[in-house]
Amino acid sequence: MHVPLGPRSPHSLRSPRGLRRPRRLPRSRLLALFCLTPLLAGCFASSGSGGGHGQGRDAGGSGSRLRVALAFPPAENLSPYGADATILSRLGVTEGLTALDGNGSAVPALAASWRREDDRTWLFTLREAVFHDGTDVTPAAVAASLARAGEARPAPAALAGVAFTAKAAGGAAVRVTTAAPDPVLPLRLSSPSLAVLSPKAYGKGKKDAVDPVGTATGPFEITRVTGASAAALDRFDGYWGGRAQSSGVDVRFVADGAARANALRTGQVDLAEAIPVAQAATLDPGTRRETATTRTTSLHLNARSGVFKDPALRAAARAAVDASVLAEGVYEGHADAGAGIYGPAVTWAQGKRVRPAGRAKAVAPGGASLTLATYDNRPELPEVAQVLKQQLEKAGFKVTLEVREYSRLESDALAGRFDAFVGARNSLLDTGDPVSVLAGDFTCEGGYNLARLCDPDVDRAVGKAQAAADADERQDAAMAAEAVILGTDAVVPLVHQRIITGVAARVGGVTPDPYERTLVGAGTRR
Amino acid sequence: MGALLWRVVLGALLVCGIGLLPWLSRTDPALTVLKARSADRDPSPEVLADIRDRLGLDDGPARLLGRWLAGLPRGDAGRSWISGADVLPGVLDALGVSLLLTAAALAVAVVVAAGVCARTLFLGARRRLQGRPAGGSGSAVLAALPEFLLASVLATVVGVQWGWLPALGWYGPQWTVLPALALGLPAGAVLGRLLDDRLPSAFAEPWASAAAARGLPGRSIARQALRRCVPGLLPNVGLFAVGLTGGSVAVEQIFDIPGLGRTALQAAIAQDLPVLQAGALVLVALAAVTTGVARLAARLLVGPALRDGALHTLDRPAPAARRAPPLVHGVLLLGVVGLGLPRDPLALDTGDRLRSPSAAHPFGTDALGRDVLARVAHGAVDTLLLAFTVSALALTAGVLLGLLPRLSGPLVDTVNAVPPVLAALLVAAVRGNGPTTPALAVAVVAWAPLAAHTSALLRQEGATVHLAATRALGAGRWYLLRSRLLPAVLPPVVRHALLRLPGIALALASLGFLGLGAQPPSPEWGLLLAENQPYAERAPWAVLAPAAVVALLGALAVTAPGLLRPPGRTPRSRGSVRPRRRGAAEQPTAEQLAARAESAGPGRPRGGSVPPPRAGSVSPPRRA
Repeated sequence: MHVPLGPRSPHSLRSPRGLRRPRRLPRSRLLALFCLTPLLAGCFASSGSGGGHGQGRDAGGSGSRLRVALAFPPAENLSPYGADATILSRLGVTEGLTALDGNGSAVPALAASWRREDDRTWLFTLREAVFHDGTDVTPAAVAASLARAGEARPAPAALAGVAFTAKAAGGAAVRVTTAAPDPVLPLRLSSPSLAVLSPKAYGKGKKDAVDPVGTATGPFEITRVTGASAAALDRFDGYWGGRAQSSGVDVRFVADGAARANALRTGQVDLAEAIPVAQAATLDPGTRRETATTRTTSLHLNARSGVFKDPALRAAARAAVDASVLAEGVYEGHADAGAGIYGPAVTWAQGKRVRPAGRAKAVAPGGASLTLATYDNRPELPEVAQVLKQQLEKAGFKVTLEVREYSRLESDALAGRFDAFVGARNSLLDTGDPVSVLAGDFTCEGGYNLARLCDPDVDRAVGKAQAAADADERQDAAMAAEAVILGTDAVVPLVHQRIITGVAARVGGVTPDPYERTLVGAGTRR
Repeated sequence: MGALLWRVVLGALLVCGIGLLPWLSRTDPALTVLKARSADRDPSPEVLADIRDRLGLDDGPARLLGRWLAGLPRGDAGRSWISGADVLPGVLDALGVSLLLTAAALAVAVVVAAGVCARTLFLGARRRLQGRPAGGSGSAVLAALPEFLLASVLATVVGVQWGWLPALGWYGPQWTVLPALALGLPAGAVLGRLLDDRLPSAFAEPWASAAAARGLPGRSIARQALRRCVPGLLPNVGLFAVGLTGGSVAVEQIFDIPGLGRTALQAAIAQDLPVLQAGALVLVALAAVTTGVARLAARLLVGPALRDGALHTLDRPAPAARRAPPLVHGVLLLGVVGLGLPRDPLALDTGDRLRSPSAAHPFGTDALGRDVLARVAHGAVDTLLLAFTVSALALTAGVLLGLLPRLSGPLVDTVNAVPPVLAALLVAAVRGNGPTTPALAVAVVAWAPLAAHTSALLRQEGATVHLAATRALGAGRWYLLRSRLLPAVLPPVVRHALLRLPGIALALASLGFLGLGAQPPSPEWGLLLAENQPYAERAPWAVLAPAAVVALLGALAVTAPGLLRPPGRTPRSRGSVRPRRRGAAEQPTAEQLAARAESAGPGRPRGGSVPPPRAGSVSPPRRA
C-alpha cells in the first residue's frame, strides 16, 4: 500500500509555506512504478492468442482463427477419462474408433469398418490416419490406447462394468474381445473417453496422467493450455479427413452463462456454447442455434417411502403436472414438453413410443405434505420446482422446496430423504445406448435410482431390453420398458431441453449435436 | 511475540479445521470430488472406491493432514484432488490476479471515500462545519448496493451496450476498470462514511482553531484532520483488502476473472482440501502482512501521540442530524411494505412473466410472473428480523472482543481472511444444518470488522489526555471502561453496524446454495436479488426494486439517529469532551480536571501526570 509520507517531511510540518507547496511526485517513485509494471503483467491472465483482444496468429495458410467460449473449464487437466473428454471432442481434437450420427447409431471414425466375429469379439479395420505427433495410427497404438482406458481408475463412464481386451490383429485391424457379450460395443467406442491417442500421451507409470496435447488425431491439435481459463489449438495439416477450414481455435472457458452471452454480443468470441435460457432473449435471434438434446428433465417420485409410496398419490401428482406450462413459461419455448424418458432428440423413439398401460387411479391427496428437492446448478430447475409446487398445491398437496448445490443434494436424494426430486438426466448417457439409463435409474439394482423404484415388471422389461442384440430390437424393447416405467408413475417427464449455442453471423459449419459431443469440426469457419 | 504465536495457533486451527471438514460434516469428499470432475457421472460404489483409493482418503484426516503439512517446508502444498495438478502455482497465480483486482478496487474506494468526505473536508477547512447536519444518505445507499448487482449493471451497460470497456476477461489494465468499480464503489462508500463520521470532531479540536487563527490555509488543516482520523480506519481498510482478495466471487464470475475467490469457492464445494488449505493459509498470511502494514501506517501517522497519550477524544455530540431524511426513508419503506402486504407474494403465473411495472403490478413481475411489490413487502419482516438479530449478535461480539485487542486482533484477521463460503461450511459442519446455522454462519464473520473498528477507536481513545487525567486521579479500569471508553466508542461502532445491515441481509441469502438459509419460494430479500439477477438486463425492475429497498434500509439505518434525538436541541459548542452526568457524582474532580486538561489542548498540559507531547505529535501543525 502507498503510505503517504508527505506530511512527515520536516518542511511540510514546520512551515506553512511548505504546506502550501504542491505535492511533488519524486522521479524515483515514478521509476519504481515503471519497474512494477512487468510484475503487474504477471497478475493478468496470459492473453496471447487465448485472449479476446489478441488477433491470434495465422498458422501459415488460409482461414482465420475461430474464437470459442466453452462453459465447462477442464476439471482434470484435459484427461480424456473424465468429463474433460467432451471438451476435447467438441473442439475436434480427439476422435474414437467410431462416432454417433444424428440417429444415434455408430458410424465410422478412425475405424473405417467393423464386424462382429462372435458374441464377444469384434474386429475393427482402421483407416489410414496420423497422430498429431506425426506417427501413424497403427493397430498396436490403438490397442494400447484402449487398454489404458480400460485400466483407468475410476473407469471411464462408458466402460463402467465392462471388461475387454484389445489386440492388434494383423494388417490394419484391431480385435476387441469382451468378457461378456456386448451388443453395443461400437456405440460404446464412440464415447469421447475412448479417444485414441498416440503412445506418447501415456507416461511410463500406470498412474501417470494422460496428455492429449499433440497426441490425438482430430482436425485440430492443442498447442497451449493456460490452466483452466484458456487453450489454443492449431489446424492439423495431416488430418485424414482433409485440412480444416479454420487455421486454429482460441478457446476460453467462461463458466458464467451471462458472461458467455456478453462475450458473443461484444464480438469477443465467434461461438459461445450453452447460453442459459434467461440470456437467450438478449441475443439476436439470428445468432441463436437451438439443438434438441437427449437431456430430459423429470420429476422423480420416491416410490419406496413417504407419501409417494402410494401409486394412487403418484398418479395424482402426475395428473397435476402440466409440462407445457414449464416448456413455455420457464424455458420460454427453448424446450419441448415431456413426452417420455426419451425426447425428440432421440429420433427413432418418436415412432416407436408405446402408451403406458395399467396406471393406478388417482385419488385426492387431501393435503398430503411432501418435500420437493432440486439443485441450482442449472438455473431453470429452481424455477421449475416453484411452478411444480404451485401445480401440486392446486391439486391438494402441501409442498416444501429444498434447493441446494448438486453435490450437496445428490446423496440425500439417492438415500430417499425427499419425496420428490426434479433433475435433468442425459437419457443416452455416455454410450449412446438407450438401455443403460433404464437399468441405472429405474431397476432395483440401479445405482442412480432417484425414484427408488423397485418393481418386478420394470426389472423384467429392462432385462429384456438389455438382452436384445439387434439395434432395432433393442430400441423396441427400450420403448416397451419405457412404457412400463412410466406406467408406475414414479417418474414424470417434464421437459426435453434444447441447448442454445450462440453463433456469430459470419460463422458457418458449426456442428452442435444432441449428444453434446461435437461443436467445432473441420468445416467450421468464419 | 505472543501475538505472533496466537496468530500461528489460529492459522493451524484453521488448517486443521479444513482438514477435518468432510469428516465433521459427514459429506463424502469422494462424492464431491467426483461431482466436481464430472457432474453427470453416477456415483456407483466402485467409482467412489477408486477415487477414495487414489486420494488416499481411507488413511483418515490425521494422516492426510500430516502428509500435507510435511510437504509445506519443501514448498509442496500437495496436489489438487480434482485436477491432480500442483496446488501452489495455481493458488499463487489466482492470488496475484486477486491482489491486483483488490488494489484497483481500493484505488476506486479511496476516490469514492474522498468524494463522500469532500463536503465535510471543504466545510471543515473553511471552519463552517459548526451546526451543519451530517451529510446526506447518498453514500449509505451506495454502501448498501450489492456488488453483484453493480457488476451486472456495469458489464451489460458499460461493457456490452455502450462498448466502452471490455465486459469480461482479465488481460490488461482496461479489463480492471469495471470489476474495480463494482468492488470499490460500495467499499469506498462504507469507508467514506466511517471517515466522515469522525472528521467533524477532528476539525473541532483545539489545534484546528489554533491553526486557523494562525492563518494556516484551510487545505493543510483539512489534511491534518484527515491524518488524525485515518488511523482509526486503517484496520478496516486492511480488512477490506483481505476480504476482497478472497471473497469477491460474484464479481469474478460475472467478469470471468481467474481469481482466488472463485478458486476457493470451487474447492469448498468440491471439498478439495489441499487447495482449500493452501488458499486459507495464503489468505491468513496476507491478513497478517496487511495488519502489519496498517499498524505501521497508523504509527507513521499518529505514532508519537499514541505512545505519549496526547490525543483528544474524537467522541463528541454528533451535529444535530436532520429529522427529515430518516422520516422520508421510513415512510417510503413503510409505504412499500404497506402497499405490498395485501398482495400475494407466491401466486405465480408464467404467462405474466417479466412484465414491466404497470398499474396492476407497480413494481413489475419476476421470471415466474409473481408480483415484485408483494414479494418485497412480504420479505421485509423476515429479512429485517434476521438481519437485525445477526447484526446485534455481531455487534455484541465485536465490541466485547474489540475490548481485548491482543486476543481479538489476530482472530479478526484470521476470521476475515477466511472466504465466507468456507466459514459457512465450517460452521455448518460443526453445528449441523439447524435453523440457527445460517445466522451463526454469517455472524461468525460479521463481527470481525466491528471488532477491528472498536479496537482501533479504543487505541486512540485510550491515548487521550482526558483519560490520562482521569486515570491519574485514581479512576479504576472498570470506571474508565464504563463511563469513558465505551460511551466514546460505542456510537460510531453502532453506526458502522447499521451501515453493514443490508450487507448482512445479502450474505444470509448467499448461503442458500449450501442448503442453509431461506429456500425458494420465500420472498426473502437476498433471495429475491439472487433469483432475479439472471434477468437483470431484461427485467431490471425485478432486481432494482429489492435493491432499492435494501438501499433505503441502509439510508434509514444511517440517518436514524436523527429520529432518536429530541427536537430542538442544538449541537453543543465545539469542546471536545462531553460532560456527562453519569459518573460525575463518583469522580467529580477527575471530571473537572480532565475537562480542563482537554480544553487546554496538548500544547500546554496542566495535569502533572500528562506527559508533554513530542514534536510531530498528532495533528496540531506548529511552527518550529
